[in-house]
Amino acid sequence: MSEMLANTSKGHIEVKNFSLDYETIEGSVQAVTDTQIHVKPGEFVSIVGPSGCGKSTLLNAVAGFLKPTTGIVTVDGERVNGPSAERGMVFQQYSLFPWKTVRENVEFGLKMRGMPRSQRERAARTLLGLAGLEAFEKHYPERLSGGMKQRVGIVRALATGPKVLLLDEPFGALDAQTRVIMQQILTNMWQRLKISVLFVTHDIDEAIFLSDRVYCMTARPGSIKAEIPIPLERPRQQSMMMSSEFLALRRGLMSLIREESLKAMGGEINDMGMQGLNIELHGHSLADVI
Amino acid sequence: MPAIAEAGSVRAVTPPATPHSFGTLALRWYRLNQSRLRATAIGLISLLAFLLVWHLLTTYRVVFFVRFTNVPSPLAVYASFTQAMHDPKFLMHILLSCRRIFIGFSLAAIIGVPLGLIMGRFKLVHEVIFPVAEVLRPIPAIAWVPMAIMLWPTNEQSIVFITFLGSFFPILVNTLHGISLVDPVLVRAAQCLGARERSIFREVYFPASLPHIFTGLTVGMGVAWVSLIAAEMISGQYGIGYFTWEAYSLVQYADIALGMIAIGVLGLGSSLLIRGAGQLVMPWRST
Repeated sequence: MSEMLANTSKGHIEVKNFSLDYETIEGSVQAVTDTQIHVKPGEFVSIVGPSGCGKSTLLNAVAGFLKPTTGIVTVDGERVNGPSAERGMVFQQYSLFPWKTVRENVEFGLKMRGMPRSQRERAARTLLGLAGLEAFEKHYPERLSGGMKQRVGIVRALATGPKVLLLDEPFGALDAQTRVIMQQILTNMWQRLKISVLFVTHDIDEAIFLSDRVYCMTARPGSIKAEIPIPLERPRQQSMMMSSEFLALRRGLMSLIREESLKAMGGEINDMGMQGLNIELHGHSLADVI
Repeated sequence: MPAIAEAGSVRAVTPPATPHSFGTLALRWYRLNQSRLRATAIGLISLLAFLLVWHLLTTYRVVFFVRFTNVPSPLAVYASFTQAMHDPKFLMHILLSCRRIFIGFSLAAIIGVPLGLIMGRFKLVHEVIFPVAEVLRPIPAIAWVPMAIMLWPTNEQSIVFITFLGSFFPILVNTLHGISLVDPVLVRAAQCLGARERSIFREVYFPASLPHIFTGLTVGMGVAWVSLIAAEMISGQYGIGYFTWEAYSLVQYADIALGMIAIGVLGLGSSLLIRGAGQLVMPWRST
């Protein structure tokens, strides 16, 4: 089990001079610009930022789904050229295969690798046991709760023993209690597997509670506004979230993000105001409207 | 640890397990299936009411805009049914129609489903075939009858061809629709688990399209019967459609209704078969 999963001292993510534009009818739009981040082997790093700042775009580029416009993404010195089983991904919408049972979902990566059936069944059972899901191996995902689905999603991504685990707001759709439990499970698995994690969230508490380091992004076009080390000792308990240390980190991050959110929303509000004016003025003089 | 927590909360809600007597079990079963039982009961009553109205309209030979003077009564149809059951010719009509449906529909499925899947995945194939399909699709299968007679050397082949045409387009169009709706996130999930194009096709696109493929098969089967009956009435020598038309020519009025009911039962039976196949192939869909 451990030799299948443990990837000690591997999984060094490096993103350099990164920018990503996408094309629209009006021209190219910058989603992310001038960004450098890195994740050391075995490190847990989060990216937070206002919505629409491009943090998911950045993560999708690390996964290999998007190509950077400039710059380079490497894992252990190798350039990322497309999705691969070396970089496991967990999605907010769970994205389990509805036509596969829980165990078949977990087995999928091993099947793609050509592992014989009996062997991968055994591996999947062991992993499901670790996540407390052995009783549900024959269930179809539809019948599971959100928390269970995402446990399957995490186990499925870990089954192939990836070097890094990428998570895109994985607990965003869960209720508060389930989310706390899931954070604990993720922490346990991460500590056991010594895997590098890149975690995207908009939840500041979540980012601080889980991470060794947090990157805070600016409003669009996104870039890194700040890098905050989280020196809280491990293992972390829920009660730590009330400590002065935690609250200080939270206040700091909060004000960084508020600045950026206001910047992002300010833009939108101005745009809307202008549009409103245009409509009202259409065919009338300003005096008519007033 | 969380599993224990969840299991614990479930246990707290369920009442303590006590041995159930047969009576309480029966009562629980009744309560759980109440709405289904109700629907069945009302369905039976409404069918009986239909038969009763039919009986009354025909025995009193009602003429009110429509004329029931020559319409056979349910009892007359039942009499001709018992007679037909001993008539090998009637059974042969049914058998032949079923064979035509089987061949025509199977060909449509064997060609339509893979073609739809390939068109959904390969843009060039789509761009080449789709315009032709769109032009041919609105032509009702019945309109193909004269052309089919010219195209095929035997009557039998042209009837099967028309049945095929009727079911082909619904199957093709629904398969295409299904593959266009596949959630791209599932494709990505497969990709970052190491799946390549061929595996993604087999493990994601195909199963994800199955619900729509089966919609297409169900619709296609319905249209196959419509086309078959029309073709048999026009150009057939055997088959249940021919039987019904012949009954009219021979003034066997009870046989007209018998033929119609037989067509209805066969159509219902074949769509139930497809639904059953769908449940077998997609166990994750049946709750």
